Amino acid sequence: MKVSNLLKKYDGKAVVDSVSFEIPKGKVISLIGPNGAGKSTVMGMISRLIAKDAGMIDFDSKDISKWKSRELAKRLAILTQQNNVQMKLTVRELVAFGRFPYTGSHPTQADQKIIDQAIAYMELGEFEDRFIDELSGGQRQRAYIAMVIAQDTEYILLDEPTNNLDIYHATNMMKIVRRLCDELGKTVILVLHEINYAAFYSDYICAFKDGRIAKFGPVSEVMTKETLSEIYKVDFEILQVEGKPLTIYY
Amino acid sequence: MTTRAQRKNVQKLVILALLTLIAVVAYMTIDVNFSKPRFLRFAMELRTPKLLAMLIAAFAIGAASIVFQSVINNTIVTPCLLGMNALYTLIHTLVYFVFGSASILARNTNLAFAVDLVIMGTVATFIYGYLFKKTNYNVLYVLLIGTVLSSFFGSIQSTMIRVMDPNEYEELLLNLVASFDNVQSEIILACVLILTATIVLLRKDIALLDVITLGKHQAINLGVDYDRTIRRLLIGVTVCIAVATAMVGPISFLGLILANLARQLMKTYRHTHLMLASAMIGMMVLVAGQCLVEHVFSYAIPVSVFITIGGGVYFLFLLLRQKR
Repeated sequence: MKVSNLLKKYDGKAVVDSVSFEIPKGKVISLIGPNGAGKSTVMGMISRLIAKDAGMIDFDSKDISKWKSRELAKRLAILTQQNNVQMKLTVRELVAFGRFPYTGSHPTQADQKIIDQAIAYMELGEFEDRFIDELSGGQRQRAYIAMVIAQDTEYILLDEPTNNLDIYHATNMMKIVRRLCDELGKTVILVLHEINYAAFYSDYICAFKDGRIAKFGPVSEVMTKETLSEIYKVDFEILQVEGKPLTIYY
Repeated sequence: MTTRAQRKNVQKLVILALLTLIAVVAYMTIDVNFSKPRFLRFAMELRTPKLLAMLIAAFAIGAASIVFQSVINNTIVTPCLLGMNALYTLIHTLVYFVFGSASILARNTNLAFAVDLVIMGTVATFIYGYLFKKTNYNVLYVLLIGTVLSSFFGSIQSTMIRVMDPNEYEELLLNLVASFDNVQSEIILACVLILTATIVLLRKDIALLDVITLGKHQAINLGVDYDRTIRRLLIGVTVCIAVATAMVGPISFLGLILANLARQLMKTYRHTHLMLASAMIGMMVLVAGQCLVEHVFSYAIPVSVFITIGGGVYFLFLLLRQKR
């Protein structure tokens, strides 16, 4: 997937401007940056949730807007934080929706197997008949991830997946992200606020500032004192833990 | 368990269908003289159109309310918010005010029905087709527009009745209460045709409703053309409500009760089940209610009064329960 010269304006003001980068396949890529830097908007445009004003998002040598929505749903999945379901829906029924792009509302035997696997992979077996609105935040998040797994796409986009989770569940979430990439071979793109999670669990980091890319590259290149201080306007110290850069900011 | 819950829901639907059937049979047979074919035929001629009108109205309102709530993603909205009730009241007041109760527009129910439907259809297509697009597919704007229009229509109407001839006003008042009496067979046929056409045209969008309740982002993620589907469904809902209102009068408040009873009963996200349940509860309530009105209250109180009172209490109950 290649993004070039992306532009988005709200009320005449550009919130994303000339953003270009290429997403390496089979890696975990984190988008970081201060509030309002445009990272979530970029994510929205990549996933067709937000219409872009100009630029190209080249997905399999075809612009994302030229794809049939249903076909794209088999290749690319997005999970945002706006998931309030008013319906009585069990975990299994939610996960089954992941098969919707393939077989609509009537999952086949093969689909049922994929749904079973996704539930098992997320260790949701004992919850599969519980209603979504009766689960804790962490469990619900896992149920949605299971649905994305059942959707069986090459690309998985997660918008602030650690939001509203405590340290335990957030760390688990990041481990799951790593497993999605390492075990299932997915390309995972996330928007993260927590820089240390980004540093520890991703392969590449794309740092945004004022609607533009400040720095894009492998973790070690982006996680430097100078770059981070410049982006966040806060003093940073960089430590090395398990061979990975971790930050302290104050 | 998913399959067990589903089987249970199918059972519930069958029971609902049986209860509806009992209500229908009771309505058609109570106090009917079977010994003389002439009396029997007379009774059937009187009761059949009324029964059909009730069944059609219940189906249209029940199913449309479920769709409306799912599209708005809120289970305490009523299709009243679409403003069709207020529009109906306005149109009829206008006819009585300008042309008088003796005019052909007021006397000929077929003509009145056609006028209602054309005006409502035009307004609906404009608001829920054009304006919806203009406001970037924001359903909340649509609700706001509906509410504002309702009070706008209401104000015009109350201004007119202030200066109206009292005799005309009395005639009008009879017309403004929902009733199933004197619904012509031509109207019934037209309603059936319009409703069938709506369902056939929207069958694909209706099938997407389950996914749509996951929210906008999830629906798009799963490959649904969200804005287009929502717009088509909204227009469909308005057409259904318009048909029911034009046929029997302002009655769409009933939808709130039906949709919520159906949701409470079925506890599922499957819209085919929800819509069927909602429609059948509606049929049962209307037919049984009309039975009461005719045989217990001897026509003293129209069925819509019960609906409004019962609906109001139920609505309060829903609000209080949601707060908790």
